[in-house]
Amino acid sequence: MSGTVTLTFPAQTGNVALARTLAAAMSARADLPLDQLEDVRLAVDEAVSQLIIDAAPGSDIACAFTLMGDALDIVVSGTSTSGRTPDADTFSWTVMSALVDTVTARVDAGVVSLRLFVTRHAPVDA
Amino acid sequence: MSEPAARPSRWGEEQRLHERALLDEFARLDHTDPRRASIRDEIVTMHLPLVQHLARRYRDRGEPLEDLVQVGTIGLIKAVDRFDPERGTELSTFATPTILGEIKRHFRDRAWAVRVPRRLQELQAQVVSRTDELTRTLHRAPTVRELAESLGVGEEDVLDALEARHAYATASIDAGGDAEERAAAPVVRSLGIDDPSFGAIEDRESLRPLLEALPERERTIIVLRFFRHMSQTQIAEELGISQMHVSRLLARTLAQLREGMTAD
Repeated sequence: MSGTVTLTFPAQTGNVALARTLAAAMSARADLPLDQLEDVRLAVDEAVSQLIIDAAPGSDIACAFTLMGDALDIVVSGTSTSGRTPDADTFSWTVMSALVDTVTARVDAGVVSLRLFVTRHAPVDA
Repeated sequence: MSEPAARPSRWGEEQRLHERALLDEFARLDHTDPRRASIRDEIVTMHLPLVQHLARRYRDRGEPLEDLVQVGTIGLIKAVDRFDPERGTELSTFATPTILGEIKRHFRDRAWAVRVPRRLQELQAQVVSRTDELTRTLHRAPTVRELAESLGVGEEDVLDALEARHAYATASIDAGGDAEERAAAPVVRSLGIDDPSFGAIEDRESLRPLLEALPERERTIIVLRFFRHMSQTQIAEELGISQMHVSRLLARTLAQLREGMTAD
């Protein structure tokens, strides 16, 4: 399976649950074991929550999920007030790094993107 | 809409006059007067046959009759409190819609609280126990697909059960946890939070006081998952609780920490 599924919503904490639900559903499609699925849900929760804290008023958060075989590529982005990426020495970054394989951040014209990449750890029989 | 056959026919003229006298006195008395309670009790007792009569109409709908009488009586009490004898209507006529309203509301509440979530509650319990079983045989956590196949349900159903579990976990934060939580013995080996890996982050974010304020088990789970890099399944084994329980505690604790760090 391939293709990207995207979700866009106003940058308000009440909407984080939407991203969590989609994260779980996409993790299931990637055939991630339940503990990894829950990790992805937590990581997306953390990424979206951090972007909302720094979101410009009235802006949106976008989540893009791309299935790549036994991997899931997730990009969470939003227009930030500070225009800065989260620092790598924060607890938030520590949390996200522990939950997925890699976390990278970039900022482009005020839009901060957090990229979470996760691969299935244990082999699963097809 | 008025309901017929509201007043028990066996009432004689004497009882009718007595009721009228009670209602007049009840309406006259100051709301703080201690006599009001006993007069209200007597009025309510006189009209209990009406509540029983109305409740029996709904007795075949899966709720115990005594529960229906009980909620119907609440409606009767409300009606007595609101009744104005000057209006010239009978209390029984006035109270009937209120009593029926309480009984119908009871059915609506039960439908929401029991019927809909029960399917998910049962599925949740199955997902939890089957996850543990499959984890033992597979030597890793099962996937949603494997759980769905094993339980003979759709993958969407498993996702719904997981989702409902998180929704419930969030709702139960203030309620002080649920049965699984209380049942899980807090056999947590002591873990210092003087972990050197905290060093880089603690100064800026006052993480240490927040971690110190956590219950020991929550703190242990945070340390094991984020600083010792154990998986949820490994932590579950270590603490003797289910992996789903670990994930709920993680979600809840992270939300609390985040709130603590952003609330300045």
